[in-house]
Amino acid sequence: MSVDAGAIGVRRREFLKILGASGAATTLVGCSSGDVEKLIPYVVNPDQTVPGVSTYYASTCRECSAACGIIVETRDGRAIKIEGNPAHPVNQGALCARGQSALQGLYNPDRYRGPMIRRDGTLTPATWDEALTLLSQKLGEVRSRGGAASAVFVNQHESGSFPAFLDEWLSAFGMPGHYSYEGEIDHAVVAANRESYGVAWPELNFAAARLIVSFGADFLDGWGASVPQQLSFADARAKLQDAPRVVYVGARRSLTGLNADEWVPARPGSELAIVNALRGSGSLASAADTSGVPIGTLERLARDIAATRPSLLVSGVSSSNAMDVALAVNAFNASLGNVGLTVVPANALRGFENAATPADLRGVAERMNAGSVPLLMVRGVNPSYSVPKSARFAEGMAKVPFKVSFSCYPDETTVLCDLVLPDHHSLEQWGDAEPMRGTLGLQQPTMDPVFNTRATADVLIAVAQKDPGAAARYPAKDYRTWFIGRFPGGADALTAALPQGFASGAPLPYRAVSHQRSAAPAAPAETGDFHFMVYPSPTLGDGRGANKPWLQELPDPVSKRCWQSWVEIHPETARRLGVENGDVVQVETSAGSVRGPAYLYLGIRPDTVAMPLGLGHTAYGRYAEGCGANALDAVGGVVDQGSGAMAFSSHRARVTKTGTHDRVVTTEGSARQHGRGIAQAMLASELAEHGDAHAAAAGHAFMGDASHEFLPGLRSPVANDAQGDLGNPASKDKGMYDPTHWSGMAKRRWAMTIDLARCTGCSACVTACYAENNIPTVGAPWQVMSVMPDRTGFGANLLRGREMSWIRLERYFEGAEHEDGHFDAHFEARFLPMLCQHCGNAPCEPVCPVFATYHAPDGLNVQVYNRCVGTRYCSNNCPYKVRYMNWFGYGEADRKQYAFPEPLNWQLNPDVTVRGKGVMEKCSFCVQRIREAESRATLEGREMEPDEFTSACAQACPSRAITFGDAADENWSVAKLAHDRRAYHVFAELNTYTAVVYLKKVNHPGSGQQAIAPATGTEH
Amino acid sequence: MTQRRQWAAVPGLLALAAVAAMLSAYSGASSPEGRQPAQPIAFPHPTHVKTLGMNCLYCHFSANKSPDPGMPAVGTCMGCHTVGVQTPEIKKLATYWTKKQPIPWARIHKLPEYVRFPHMRHVNAGVTCQSCHGQVQDMKTVYQENSLNMGWCINCHIERKARYDCANCHY
Repeated sequence: MSVDAGAIGVRRREFLKILGASGAATTLVGCSSGDVEKLIPYVVNPDQTVPGVSTYYASTCRECSAACGIIVETRDGRAIKIEGNPAHPVNQGALCARGQSALQGLYNPDRYRGPMIRRDGTLTPATWDEALTLLSQKLGEVRSRGGAASAVFVNQHESGSFPAFLDEWLSAFGMPGHYSYEGEIDHAVVAANRESYGVAWPELNFAAARLIVSFGADFLDGWGASVPQQLSFADARAKLQDAPRVVYVGARRSLTGLNADEWVPARPGSELAIVNALRGSGSLASAADTSGVPIGTLERLARDIAATRPSLLVSGVSSSNAMDVALAVNAFNASLGNVGLTVVPANALRGFENAATPADLRGVAERMNAGSVPLLMVRGVNPSYSVPKSARFAEGMAKVPFKVSFSCYPDETTVLCDLVLPDHHSLEQWGDAEPMRGTLGLQQPTMDPVFNTRATADVLIAVAQKDPGAAARYPAKDYRTWFIGRFPGGADALTAALPQGFASGAPLPYRAVSHQRSAAPAAPAETGDFHFMVYPSPTLGDGRGANKPWLQELPDPVSKRCWQSWVEIHPETARRLGVENGDVVQVETSAGSVRGPAYLYLGIRPDTVAMPLGLGHTAYGRYAEGCGANALDAVGGVVDQGSGAMAFSSHRARVTKTGTHDRVVTTEGSARQHGRGIAQAMLASELAEHGDAHAAAAGHAFMGDASHEFLPGLRSPVANDAQGDLGNPASKDKGMYDPTHWSGMAKRRWAMTIDLARCTGCSACVTACYAENNIPTVGAPWQVMSVMPDRTGFGANLLRGREMSWIRLERYFEGAEHEDGHFDAHFEARFLPMLCQHCGNAPCEPVCPVFATYHAPDGLNVQVYNRCVGTRYCSNNCPYKVRYMNWFGYGEADRKQYAFPEPLNWQLNPDVTVRGKGVMEKCSFCVQRIREAESRATLEGREMEPDEFTSACAQACPSRAITFGDAADENWSVAKLAHDRRAYHVFAELNTYTAVVYLKKVNHPGSGQQAIAPATGTEH
Repeated sequence: MTQRRQWAAVPGLLALAAVAAMLSAYSGASSPEGRQPAQPIAFPHPTHVKTLGMNCLYCHFSANKSPDPGMPAVGTCMGCHTVGVQTPEIKKLATYWTKKQPIPWARIHKLPEYVRFPHMRHVNAGVTCQSCHGQVQDMKTVYQENSLNMGWCINCHIERKARYDCANCHY
């Protein structure tokens, strides 16, 4: 059948006419989009900066009181990344996730823009003149009415000169010394250490120990000085077959517990009996009875402790006898001869000295409730959130006539205040710290203030200078001048010391005044079937991290949940209660009740439930407010009598199923490896038996022993052949893939090794990657489509697997796999950072229809964003599941889902493209750092030096588990490590020729303990 | 087919064309060659380069040490322009200086944001400014001489034996 096209369709001539008209219109459309972009130069060039080149400032981290040294990278006047200071004695270049996230505090979109005054019941913007006048006036009123001696100033705990400076200022106005409050410090241990050693925090030398026993001390979770402890712990583990065995005693296996070789699940509150029995001042039988631990286990532990010298015992329990436990452990360490070897008071950290305790703050709350506090000033702490409700801090505040906050953020305490004088962020102001005796950590502004804020110290000086009585004591015009004035050697010496970030010296001496504590409330009669434990979140701390999306989106290292609270409950108990993962349970204690979705966790005693702190904010900005529940709602006022520390695990609770179900916001696929051999481990005995590397060379190898016939990340012969000259398969010209090619690109082979014996799963690498590579967070409620109401709320995107984490920390359990879920303490956790493996024979590459992903000659698996059309075939074909799709315009400022609301976008790394909607992205091996190092070497007319630079994850890692570099040049560390005997490739059987080489974890089962790990960890 | 029905296809094709134009703009494929926007001050490159013999790097001071070539600060201009003739254009400059405001120059050469162009690598490899920016010393008002599209870049990279792997520039 033939059809006359002309009769029913458009004739050719007419079609061309129409097309012509449309084409002309296109040209018009095309030309009309010629927006003229502006190029704005400086008015006057700032000294010593080059546009487009980073300037680095050494400073001090203020995210916890350990005071690590940091290097802040700034570009064109904006801080863009925080890294550890390699020269600093405390953290040696490493930095935890929280320290790195200080940037999101600096650029937090909910920061106060300027001072606020409460007028007609609401906080309204004011000028600094108005605000300072009001403060002066109120200070005058308080003094003239004789109330100055009852005024209260609660400051965040920090070492350095500011506490003493503040006390001087307070005394000039007749006010008593301030409260230097820190809710995260283990006050019980600090008090015990002061009694035993005279210092708050002796150095814990894990690397020198041959046996480590932790009694609830979560030294990898943020307890104490997290970074130096982790460095030392990883060094201990890196001794492989000679590494110390680690035993964790506690009701819940924290991240530290998961890093232990053995878990002794003792009832909360029974630790004292165990410690005493172990050191011979109590009976093992009764300790076994009290703690619920088999006596055989305790006997074995006692034998091990007696036989192994030196050992390191640490206590960190949070019960009402916490200080007694700490004292007993200190005495035990002394009797074992560990003091001076593994517990070194001479190298004490100073960051935890002089801190006020929760009991002190309860005292403040009581005085406020009694109406005897005329003036309350708060800076950097949020007691109305972080002190249990039973203390009635918020109610007390209502009875204080005038309340001043110096906080940067609208937190629960600040929103109740009458005057807000927002402080500079720590990256914007001067200061000092005393991380160790004799070391003065320096803090300097790294950029101009983001908002109209003022350093509190400057505010205090300005107010004092207005006061006729105090003015004479404040001749310096601001804190910086004062600070330089007292620095030994003055301005020149300070200028010389600043690039290093620290100097020898001491801050202005400060001695905390003793505060009036509340009479400890009588411990209420506890009823309920369960012990209730509350612990500070490793990522959010006591809640101060909750307004930073990086930390909210960082999965908890243990539960792998984010953007929500959870109640940890053992599968055996859950079965009994009929609770499944995600079912909302109610935990009711004598102090109150709290609800949260259940997390069925192997690592908790069946008679215990646990909840992390840090969520359930009712203020504190868009990322915190309304996310999760505050576990403190069910915590009463029980404190350790000796030290004033909060007793977080002293409650009994009733646990009931509510009948509702909450979603499980997790990044975890499965908690088990299902025989895939992803995270492999071996026994220390295997390493020892097979001797050293020479034995391996002689052919004595254990199963799975490292064997590399290929360079990590090398293109397989097949893949290499496929890419001849311009796709001509017959051509023998390999172009840039030929190592002898003039470009020299194929001479390098970028590769990475990850030592699982060192990795603790802390996840600092994940945050480093977010910071370096402009990775959007996607868990905020507005980052989903609003047309689907069931898919909104915190973490909604993550429910659908849309997290963008280029590197993720996988956590797998081995052992204790029982059908009926009965309790079994004998299981192991393995942590494995999973990122793009930069396969030499990558499954993602051949399936891309537009060549957006391909293998570069230097071994990188490249993702070209501008070529990508978003088919997602690559992600579908990736066995490692490390490719991430931009489902929404997270990187596009005009979209609702924008992940960087002003001024969070100031943090973006200018060297990395911000990806748009519909584009696939993944780990690039920090290609921008590679190119930067190449450029530097070329401009300096030299070859790149071995280990000259590293990737962001490797730089941050507090365990030094990650090594990055050129595997083709044997002078680089990575080339040597890739041939380690423990090396293996994940899914090597797929012939992917990965460029990421993992080194097996090494397990140390106790004598007579069944080894969990099969010889290689694989089952095929 | 009536004349009316015939032309009814125009809106549809127009819409299609608009989509195509948007796509091409999004992909950066549209070429801005010859673009010559008006500048806030009629800065004469020929006077500075040819008459006064100034080096490009005097004003674009970081082109040999930074990915960013550097735009002269108003202070740099005023280093010389406090003396000599005061034309209306120089008076405009002086006004910016007294108000302590930067000069909002109209940007002419712009690569898409997914491209990294390190100026210092090119300058130090002996690529003249004119290779990309055209004969600026002869332009009374600067315009874009070259397309700056990827094929144009690659041709030069191949000729001069510079790497042309995607990930050299795209990351």
